[in-house]
Amino acid sequence: MNDSKLWEFKTRQVVYGAIGAALYGVLSWLTNVVPLPAAGNITFRPAVAVLIFFGAAFGPWVGLIAGLVGNILGDAISGFGFWWHWDVGNGIMGLIPGLAMLMIRDYRKPRDISIAVGFGIVGILVGMLFASVMEKLTGGIDWATAIGGYWVPASIGNTIVTVILLPILMVAYQAVVSRRGR
Amino acid sequence: MLVAWKYRPRNTIIQRLDPRARLIFLACLFASFAVAQIWDIRLLFPLFVLSMVLYLLARIEWRDIKRAWTFFLIFIVVIVGVNALLSGRGGPMSVLQDTSPVLIQTPTLKIPGVNWTIHITITALRVFFAFTQMMRMFTMAILALPIPYTIDPSVYGVSFRRMGLPDKASFTMDLAFRFIPTLGRDFAITVDAQRARGYEMESLSGGIVSRLRRLAPLIVPVTMQAILTGEEVIDAMDLRAFGVRPRTWLRELHYERRDYVFIGLGVAILVISIILRWIGYGTFWAPDWIYHLTGK
Repeated sequence: MNDSKLWEFKTRQVVYGAIGAALYGVLSWLTNVVPLPAAGNITFRPAVAVLIFFGAAFGPWVGLIAGLVGNILGDAISGFGFWWHWDVGNGIMGLIPGLAMLMIRDYRKPRDISIAVGFGIVGILVGMLFASVMEKLTGGIDWATAIGGYWVPASIGNTIVTVILLPILMVAYQAVVSRRGR
Repeated sequence: MLVAWKYRPRNTIIQRLDPRARLIFLACLFASFAVAQIWDIRLLFPLFVLSMVLYLLARIEWRDIKRAWTFFLIFIVVIVGVNALLSGRGGPMSVLQDTSPVLIQTPTLKIPGVNWTIHITITALRVFFAFTQMMRMFTMAILALPIPYTIDPSVYGVSFRRMGLPDKASFTMDLAFRFIPTLGRDFAITVDAQRARGYEMESLSGGIVSRLRRLAPLIVPVTMQAILTGEEVIDAMDLRAFGVRPRTWLRELHYERRDYVFIGLGVAILVISIILRWIGYGTFWAPDWIYHLTGK
């Protein structure tokens, strides 16, 4: 399952990148109406677990595309417009767990699940930091708002979602892998 | 259908433009704001008028776009406006070196429990800065807002390809746009199926952990079904030798004179913005009378 090279970009990455983006977009749209407390235009997104899962299962390209394009689509469907720095931040959030793809052998093993969750949290912290800093540079907010009003609540919300939902998705995916045999 | 693109064909000058021209124009104006960092309201105002004219020319129906407007107004007024008004931060340093009259000054307020004190001072310059800041954000927002309503989802792929993206990346974009309604339908079917088994979506009560766990019966089946569908799509594409040779696209795009004019306008705005900043114009500006208002 995971013997493919980390950075290859073939039909598999094209299709799963697109599916990940569409899924992230649709699920984000369904939850974009729930704002996080103390945060600006940041919403509570259980879909982040799906994004991290796509990165960890299918590699960094898929994670990057799912986050970047998925956020554009989710914002577009929700009518939020286009916020390039949040799109890139979401892309980073999917890319970093993708770096763990080759370390994951069995999606049910606690060790492999922990690796995926750990890389996912790093992805969240880095991705949301990028978006928050860019919000400061382009959106005209100050550092306190960028860090306290954007980065911290977005990171906490996304981390909670990932810690709870990612293991469930991984265990379910192992069943799919076993059934498909590839 | 749970999710449907709000795009609909309209006989407007905006929708007759090549989508590439519109995306390039948008990129140029965003770069003017983000790279050139224009803060002078005398320069922002013409861009605001231009954005508003383009928005009105798109003739988007109010029922389609009212939710987006609600969000923008709340975000821009409450978050950006109030933040600029109270802190004066988020813009050039000249706003913080404020010598304008104080308009409102509250007594020191104590927050119970944490023992913090707040002392709100609103100056004339900060009011003007908040206004400038909101106009800047508003201009960017109404430029991007019409895009999903006025560009046909089926031309995103070919648009990105003809703008220089590789075939695979463009096809990814195209596929993503096509999967949206399918996955939306799958989600609706899953919700119905779970409800038939007694799942109550409306009563997602309890703590955040239990709420999230109870979302799993919706998210997991949709995700796994999407992955299985993906395997079939990969097989079909591989059988047709996807990625072996450059691909062709069903729709072809051709620039017309108006597209070149539109792109030229965007590039001109970007170049002028950069030149103005280069020679020292475009930083935050406030009229003299702001400093001579009768303060408190």
